Amino acid sequence: MITESTPVISIRGIGKQFNAVRALNGVSFDVMPGELHAVMGENGAGKSTLMKILSGVYSEYEGELFLRGKPVRFHSTREAEDAGIGIIHQELNLVEQLSVAANIFLGRETKRALGILNQGAMDRRAAELLAQLESNISPRALVSSLRVGDQQLVEIAKAISLEAEILIMDEPTSALTESEVARLYGVIDRLRKRGVTILYISHKMDEVFRLAERITVLRDGQFVQTVNRADATPRSIAHLMVGRDIEPARRRQSNQASSVVLETQGLSLAWPGHSRGWRLKDVSFKLNQGEILGFAGLMGAGRTELLECLFGASSVQPQGQLIVQGKMERFSHPAEAMKAGIAMVTEDRKRLGLFAQMTVRENTTLCSLQNCSTAGVLSRLRELAATDKQIRSLAIKSSGPEARITSLSGGNQQKCIIGRCMLTRPSILLLDDPTRGVDIGAKAELYQLMEQLATEGVAIIVTSSELPELLTVSDRILVLCEGVITGEFTREEATEQRIMEAATQQPHFV
Amino acid sequence: MSSQKPSLIFRLWSSVEFKLILAWLSVVLVTVLLDPGHTYWNNPSDSAVIVIRNSVLLGFFALGSAIIIISGGIDLSSGSVIAMSATVFGSLLIALDPTGFREGHIANWAVLIAVLGTLLSGAMVGTLHAWLITCVGLPPFIATLATLVGLRSFSRGVTLAMTNNKSQIDFPDLVLRESLKDVRYVSIVFLVLAVALWFLMSRTVIGRHLHAMGGNEQAARLSGIRTERLKWLAYVIGSVSASMVGIVYFADSGSAKPDILARGYELNAIAASVIGGCSLQGGVGTIPGTILGCLFLKTVIDSVNKIVGSGADVYEGMIVGIVVVMAVTFSQRTGSARAQTFFATPIGWASIPVLSILTGISFLLFFRDKPWFSPMHAAAFGAIVACILIARGVMEIRAKRA
Repeated sequence: MITESTPVISIRGIGKQFNAVRALNGVSFDVMPGELHAVMGENGAGKSTLMKILSGVYSEYEGELFLRGKPVRFHSTREAEDAGIGIIHQELNLVEQLSVAANIFLGRETKRALGILNQGAMDRRAAELLAQLESNISPRALVSSLRVGDQQLVEIAKAISLEAEILIMDEPTSALTESEVARLYGVIDRLRKRGVTILYISHKMDEVFRLAERITVLRDGQFVQTVNRADATPRSIAHLMVGRDIEPARRRQSNQASSVVLETQGLSLAWPGHSRGWRLKDVSFKLNQGEILGFAGLMGAGRTELLECLFGASSVQPQGQLIVQGKMERFSHPAEAMKAGIAMVTEDRKRLGLFAQMTVRENTTLCSLQNCSTAGVLSRLRELAATDKQIRSLAIKSSGPEARITSLSGGNQQKCIIGRCMLTRPSILLLDDPTRGVDIGAKAELYQLMEQLATEGVAIIVTSSELPELLTVSDRILVLCEGVITGEFTREEATEQRIMEAATQQPHFV
Repeated sequence: MSSQKPSLIFRLWSSVEFKLILAWLSVVLVTVLLDPGHTYWNNPSDSAVIVIRNSVLLGFFALGSAIIIISGGIDLSSGSVIAMSATVFGSLLIALDPTGFREGHIANWAVLIAVLGTLLSGAMVGTLHAWLITCVGLPPFIATLATLVGLRSFSRGVTLAMTNNKSQIDFPDLVLRESLKDVRYVSIVFLVLAVALWFLMSRTVIGRHLHAMGGNEQAARLSGIRTERLKWLAYVIGSVSASMVGIVYFADSGSAKPDILARGYELNAIAASVIGGCSLQGGVGTIPGTILGCLFLKTVIDSVNKIVGSGADVYEGMIVGIVVVMAVTFSQRTGSARAQTFFATPIGWASIPVLSILTGISFLLFFRDKPWFSPMHAAAFGAIVACILIARGVMEIRAKRA
């Protein structure tokens, strides 16, 4: 397919900084005209950030971008579209209250004189586009009434309607059923016959090996290598994706002969309205006292959902059995889980953890106010004592218990929330990506803290979007892929590569 | 560590309560100086009684409203709950002691049961709100909008049924009426309620949980807080406090006319809460602040009454509107130091004629009966306002360029 030698896109030294986080650093590679170029990498490798730069979502970045040899810098998605670049975003960007046709032509509406909408023309064109995708979605249907998979098809139709010469697909199949994926492949074939260049982001090996001509691997925001598909194997790509030195871990002896404190048998969580039908399926595992159990998995694998089930915080009641300290439990509210000795630190600190208008003291004591009160009347002294204890034992840096929580750094805010959990004296601690948005120094402190708690006998379940982190802290690692456990590794067995393979493997059911 | 702690004076200075006291004092001072009748100066105690009475009556249901707002909700129904409670109280009196009602000497036991029954009806309305919000899943705005409209109409129906198709229930017992509307008794009850609610909100676990739920409901649930029960409590407090004042309004106005009694008062309660520092986003606000908000609002209304003269009750709504806009604008400004752009945008420029015409016409409305007034004064006043706003806009452009 490669007919010309000038690359259609040249990426030269692209870098991007988000506050304290470096998302991309000096990435350079070329995309040839008409090729299907896959970009792979772990969560947080910088794939989506790079695509957002290419499609004009981010206009502040370092480095240069060449389109057919000419330097360009897009300031908006509209500019990128005008230059012939369309994107199918990973997150759906549809207005649910509008119709399918209205969404496809949003911002580029077909108009009659005086700016009156030409609804009929848009409906007809939308129907044509959807027919190309062999989909029978009505152009007049409201997007909110569609299944997630159909919504993704609308997103794809929208990108095709741009008639872009370069199409970026950011994990387009994440919500599609197998037959829909097959149809998408058909569309991709047709687009390629028209000479459209496609940049394809995915972490599903089988897809990439089926479609791509060349594969570029990113890791930690840096370019690793571009390889021809013919020269690569899934194994070699997985190695490229994770291939970094693992920091030597200092650790305590894991106590093997301890008792089981938590056990699940066939835990399942339904996902109404989704093609897959479940968020979690048949998840069974045991957690021992004083153990740190890691859950690995890509985005959407069901890590957060699993912890929510264990904490009685899921929106749908899970099926299957949950046994805590030898007792069958069925939590319908986090309060019940807390009574059973479980505490949870949520993934999205700002949205689900912090009380921004409150002080450090108020944030820290919130879950254990019964210990700081007499007959429902708060004792400020006992609150201060409890807060001081956590500030000292967790080394929280603040100007004191009465400082506003928002005046603390992310890591110290996280420690306050862990302190809040510790004040409830849990025997099981659930940590959902506890180091997200936390700087490196504070990360190390959090690892140390987990070790210390485990030594004291607390059983910990931890998830993380960063594999090296899990390998550092966990005694045992379970891997989730699309809501199913696809691998279990002891500390000795676990390598990033083996985990990555398990996390990208498609689970099959009879 | 103690060196970094803000000093007591600074904390006092930056509190909403302190600013409200200052603003209140300046309103009183302006009234003393500008009031042509010099009422505040010549007759301070009577003036104080009027202002306190008005503030206390608003205070009852404003406190309820504030607790709901702090806990992250909104209550649009308090005016209708007041009308309903007056109706329920009157109806219970008729039902319990029909002869006493006719002869104007109602038995004490009947009054007591009627009061308790009325408060219970308030609690039932609060429970209804909590059910609509937590179990049916309606947004608080919709749930209380339904009862805002529905309860008033319900009360009118009850009134017709209880009075042989009259549209109002007249207060039967003059002695009882005098004691129920007595400012001293009402103020004492209010004081007890206010102290109890202040204690609840600032010194108890429940109060802390209400603040937490208002600030971040999902995080509160994940912290093991039973948010549904807290919502029930907040809405019951809101409706019961409106019921208490419903009885007083019945006595005060001498009749329960559910079609007009306390109509639109719910917005005054929300306004007083917001002036007193409650955030409609929830989680922020205090009981003392809300009380000062009521006092400030009612003092400003009284002050305009005194300065403009009779008939000024027409402008009460305008005053409430202006005070709310000003209070929230100024309390927002404390957060960021940079100057805000009010007029140097297309919408800003478009608002200048609107504001100038409004102020010019208001000038005409307020002062048209004065001996010195001529329409030219109003036009000139509007023009001056326009010049000031344009000057401000020009300054904003300069500041942006700099």
